[in-house]
Amino acid sequence: MASYDFLFDGLGLRAWCDGGASAAPMSMADLLGQARGAAAPAPSLWDFPFPSMNALNRACPAFPQARELTKGLEDGFLSIKDGLSIVLDPLTQPLSWALEGALWLFQTSPWWIMIPLILLVVRLVTRSWGLVAFVAACIGFLAFINHYDYAMQTLAIIFVCAFICVLLGVPIGIAMSRSDTFQRIAIPILDMLQTLPPFVYLIPLIFLFSVTEPKLYGIAVIVYAIVPVVRLTNLGIRLVDKEVIEAADAFGMTRRQKLWGVQIPLALPNIMAGVNQTIMMSLAMVVIASMVSAPGLGVLVLRGIRNLELGVGLVSGLGIVLLAVILDRVTKAALARVNAAQRQ
Amino acid sequence: MSDDVKISIRNLYKIFGADPQSVLPLARSGMDKAELLETHRHVLGLRDINVDMKAGQMTVIMGLSGSGKSTLIRHINRLIDPTSGEVVVNGEDVLAYNDAQLRELRRVNMSMVFQKFALLPHRTVLENAGTPLEVRGVPREQWEDEARKWLDRVGLEGQGNQFPHQLSGGMQQRVGIARALTSNADIMLMDEAFSALDPLIRTDMQDLLLELQAELHKTVVFITHDLDEALKLADHLVILKDGEIVQQGEPQHILMQPNDPYIVDFISDINRARVLRVRSVMTRTEAAPEGIAGDVEADANLESVIALSGGDTSLRYRVVRDGRQVGLLSVKDLVRALVPTAASGEGIRARAG
Repeated sequence: MASYDFLFDGLGLRAWCDGGASAAPMSMADLLGQARGAAAPAPSLWDFPFPSMNALNRACPAFPQARELTKGLEDGFLSIKDGLSIVLDPLTQPLSWALEGALWLFQTSPWWIMIPLILLVVRLVTRSWGLVAFVAACIGFLAFINHYDYAMQTLAIIFVCAFICVLLGVPIGIAMSRSDTFQRIAIPILDMLQTLPPFVYLIPLIFLFSVTEPKLYGIAVIVYAIVPVVRLTNLGIRLVDKEVIEAADAFGMTRRQKLWGVQIPLALPNIMAGVNQTIMMSLAMVVIASMVSAPGLGVLVLRGIRNLELGVGLVSGLGIVLLAVILDRVTKAALARVNAAQRQ
Repeated sequence: MSDDVKISIRNLYKIFGADPQSVLPLARSGMDKAELLETHRHVLGLRDINVDMKAGQMTVIMGLSGSGKSTLIRHINRLIDPTSGEVVVNGEDVLAYNDAQLRELRRVNMSMVFQKFALLPHRTVLENAGTPLEVRGVPREQWEDEARKWLDRVGLEGQGNQFPHQLSGGMQQRVGIARALTSNADIMLMDEAFSALDPLIRTDMQDLLLELQAELHKTVVFITHDLDEALKLADHLVILKDGEIVQQGEPQHILMQPNDPYIVDFISDINRARVLRVRSVMTRTEAAPEGIAGDVEADANLESVIALSGGDTSLRYRVVRDGRQVGLLSVKDLVRALVPTAASGEGIRARAG
């Protein structure tokens, strides 16, 4: 006797119910129950179940179980997987090349070229000798404790992924700022990307791409980190002073002139804040992506967890913190320079 | 030709809301602004506006906040589209323009000065002043000279490489004016251009504008909520209240013959001796006068005549224009004209009191 027998009897669906049993695999609880052959205890009102898929299935074997939902999703994904791969593989191939190229470049360049080059970039972006000294100390420390290669791998991945995030995210943000409809559609998607646990992205990606290909983790990082730059580009352009936009219109600017001459320059502080956030989020994701073969400091963190090597985990964790601080300070200093140039 | 009508606004209605066309007939039939909002959830912005703005003149549109004056000026270059009506500029209906024509109109025929300056903060003063030409695709070396010329003209010599935030409010608005002048358009729209400035600087800017106007003869449409400013600048004064024109005409005429308690109230606070001109209170006659104390110019203000007479009300003056007599002015009439119309008991305040 199941609790919802009355429902199917009442609707006259008994014949359909007994016609075909659900094809879902048996749950462990069912198996145990079957093995014991125990009779169901007398139902009381306290135990009356919610009309869930499983409860209804007990009353009517033809009704699908909840497990069939997840299985259906999986089957559905597997059935479109091949088609999706054919489209996505060539589309994302440049990402693999870019990542491979950057990794090769960062690793094969000798340290006595790489470190001065990085310091030069920091100097150009921030115009601050203090920050250059700080970055030199951090990288020097990482190199001294033999984490230089790992740190460079992580940096290479972040450079490529953050660059692609900006390349894709800024135009998406601009499109959102221009169309309220597009904004309404895009915001829930961005919310979802931001809140979906990052591990969840990895599962379908593993099905789609080979684990040995860099684009697998590249996509994971980009999808996770693109959100802030999109959001803040949209926000920045929407926040541009209405009167300035009006002036641009009053002097007969075209949409393109307005975008490049007014909106993007005035939204730049916000866009830069988005880039800063995007870089920080790619760093977070690079660690998780080490589970799908992303090289870098994340591999050491993973080794620390897997083998319970406390020291390895802690030191590589500290390395990631140092990288994060460097990237954050440098982008913030660049942001401050943009802000100073635009004070109204 | 100063009598050419440059901008003509005909039967203009603007209603804000979800479906303005549906309530347009109600507005036409004279439904009250408050009633329209309450029963139909639409805001009446402008109702049945008819104004002719003559070439080379300064038309001042005055009203309190919410009277629709900023909305009205934005119809001229179509930053706002009307619900119904016509806007004719240079004999062409600008409402029929497509995007490209409209852009051309804004680039070539009109320029605009804004209340909060609306300068581009990331560009230098010189680049800001050159914006209208740059937008048209003029190469930099050409617009730089033009922009520098106008910056010099408004008193900003040598400031071209500063950024707007490094300048004071008054100087920023000078950049705004230079920008409008650089475009070389013959119509200049000024939306509360001086309202955000300190009183002293405002007076400076008004003088600058009058000086430029005497030289350039642009068709200026000036929006303000300040009656003194309106009277100082206007060739033609339009007074707006709740989206409707209460009275329009020559400022002196409005001062002497206000046709609405609202205006009476407005003008009761001003210094009449300073804004009223001799020609408005004189007796028109070309008969040879007797016993006159001297000559006064028709466009002189009453303050100067009082100073001249030393307060003696028994004196009479001959009023001349271009050396020819146009009338007579007795100081008694002058003093009588100084009493505001409100004292006659028609004003809102007189009734309330």
